[in-house]
Amino acid sequence: MVNGIIALLIFIFTLYLIFSEKLHRTIAGLLGAAAMLIVGKVFGFYSETEAIETIDFSTLGLLLGMMILVALLEPTGIFEFIAIKAAQFSKGKPGKLLVLLGLITTVLSMFLDNVTTVILIAPVTVLICELLGFSPTPFLITEALLSDTGGIATLIGDPPNLLIAAAAGLTFNDFLTHSLPIVVVTWITALVLLKYLFRKELNTSPSNIEGLMELNATEVLKEGKTAIRVMIVLVVAVIFFFLEELLHISPAFIALTAATVALVWVRPDPRETLSRIEWSVLVFFGALFIMVGGLEKTGLLESLAHGLSGLAHQNPLLFSIALLWFVALLSAFLDNIPITVAFIPVIQSLAASGINVAAFWWALAFGAGLGGNGTIIGSTANIVVASLSERTRNPITVKLWNKRGLPVMLATCAVTTILFIIAYPYLSK
Amino acid sequence: MKLSACMKQNVIFVSPETTLRETANTFIKHHIGTLPVVDADKKLVGILLIRDLVSQVFPDFVNIMQDIDFILDFGAAEARQPDDALLNTPISEIMQPPISCRGDSSLLRAATLIKKHNLLDLPVVDDDERLIGIASLVDIGTKFLHGWNKA
Repeated sequence: MVNGIIALLIFIFTLYLIFSEKLHRTIAGLLGAAAMLIVGKVFGFYSETEAIETIDFSTLGLLLGMMILVALLEPTGIFEFIAIKAAQFSKGKPGKLLVLLGLITTVLSMFLDNVTTVILIAPVTVLICELLGFSPTPFLITEALLSDTGGIATLIGDPPNLLIAAAAGLTFNDFLTHSLPIVVVTWITALVLLKYLFRKELNTSPSNIEGLMELNATEVLKEGKTAIRVMIVLVVAVIFFFLEELLHISPAFIALTAATVALVWVRPDPRETLSRIEWSVLVFFGALFIMVGGLEKTGLLESLAHGLSGLAHQNPLLFSIALLWFVALLSAFLDNIPITVAFIPVIQSLAASGINVAAFWWALAFGAGLGGNGTIIGSTANIVVASLSERTRNPITVKLWNKRGLPVMLATCAVTTILFIIAYPYLSK
Repeated sequence: MKLSACMKQNVIFVSPETTLRETANTFIKHHIGTLPVVDADKKLVGILLIRDLVSQVFPDFVNIMQDIDFILDFGAAEARQPDDALLNTPISEIMQPPISCRGDSSLLRAATLIKKHNLLDLPVVDDDERLIGIASLVDIGTKFLHGWNKA
C-alpha cells in the first residue's frame, strides 16, 4: 500500500508538471518514468525488465511509421494543392468553401495527425480568404474543430485512440465499425452548427474571384512525383489496416513497412526526413508507458477501481456517460493525451475486477476527442489556428472561441451521448 | 571623398506627430521614398520609408506563406484601403529608429549603412544629431564611381 501511494504521488506530480507547463511534457514524462523506476527498485515493486515490457512498442512503431509518411508528404505541397483545387471548385462561395475545406481537413486528419493537418491547411486557408476578401476566422475555427472531431473516427486519427487501442486491444476495423458511424453524425452536427453560428460572416459574396481562380495550383505542388508515390503507399497501407485481423499483422508492422517502402521509393535525404519526425512525442509516449506501468504494478489502482466498481457494475451505461462528459470537460482545458493515460489504468483495473469495460473505452475516446473543441487551449490544433490568426487582421480571441467552439463542443457531446445510449448494447459487446 | 559632397541640402522632413494621411500626401507631393522624422530642434528621431506605409496594407498571407510565386493575382487584397483609424495615427507609431551618418563620413561607409539597413536614402546629420542633408544610394553611388575613372 505504501508503494502504491508513493507511485501515485509520482504519477500525480508528473501530471501536475505536465498540465501546469512547468516542464515540457516530454521532460516531465521522463522525470516521472525515472522517478517511478528508482522508487520501484528501492521498494522492490518495479524492475527494469518490467519497465521495458510496459513500453508498447507497437504503438510507438505505428506512430513512427505514420510520422515518416507525413514527413515525406509535407514538403511536397500536396496539401496546399488539394486545398487550392477545392477552393477553386467552390468558386469562392463562402458556404461551399467552408464545407469543402472542412471536409478535406477532416479526411486528412482521419489518417494523419490533427496538428500536422491544421498546420498544413491553415496558411492556405488564410491565403484563399484574403484573395476573396473574407475574414479567415470562421474557416480556421471550423478546420480546427472538424479535424479534432474527424480524428476520433480512426485508430490512427489521434494519439489518444492509439493509446486506447493498445490498452483495450482494439483494431483499426473496430474503430471503423464503432467510432466512425457516430463521428459521421457528430461531424454533420458540428458543421451545421458552425454554418449557423457563422451565418453572418458567411453571408457575403467574394469581392474578387479572379485572384482565387488564377492561383497556379501546379506550381504549389513542388514535388508531384514524390507526393503521388507516398500517397499510393499510404492508400495501400490503409487497405492493409483493414485486413489487419485477417492477415494477423499488427498496425505497427504495416506502418513501418509502408514507411520503408516509401523511403526506398522516394530516396530522400534521410537526415532531413527524420528531422521532421516529432521525436519528443515518441519519447513522451515511452516515458508515460513506463510510469503508468509502475503505478499498475503496485496494485493501488485495483483498490481505487474497487471504489468505482459499484456504479460501474450497477449502471454501466450511466457510468460510461459520466466518464464521457468528465473526460470531455477535462480535455477542454488540458492536453488529452495525459488525460487518456490517467484513465486507462483505471478502466483496466475495472476490467480486472470483472466488469465489462468495452463501452468505457469508447466513452473515453469520444470524451478525449470532443472535449478539446471547447476552449481555445483545448487542443493543439486550436492553439495552432489561434496563433496563426494573430498574424492576420482578425485574431481569434478567447471570447470568440467561447461563443463558437464551446457550443459546438457541447452539441457534439450531446449528440454523441444520445447515439451512445442508442448504440450501447453494440458498443458494450 | 566625403558624404557632404554629394548630399542634397534641401531636405523634406516631417515631425513625429504628423499623421499617416498627411505623410502619404508629402510622399506624393515630392515623389520621394524616404522622410526623415525630426523634433522641434531638428534632431533626427526616426525615419520613414514609403515601404513602411505601403506595408500597412500588405495582405496577411505574405507573412504566412513561404512562397508566393504561385499567386498571380492578389484578388480582393489588391483593393484594400487603410481605415481612418490607421490614417489618423501619428507616424511615430510606425517609423523606424533613426539611422544616419555624419557629413564627414566616407562614401563607402554611407553606402554600407544603406545596404545593411535596406534603406533608400541616408539622412546626414551634424555633430549634434541635427539633420543637415540627405543622400540617396544613387547620389552616393555615382559619386563613388567617379573615383574609378581616375586610373
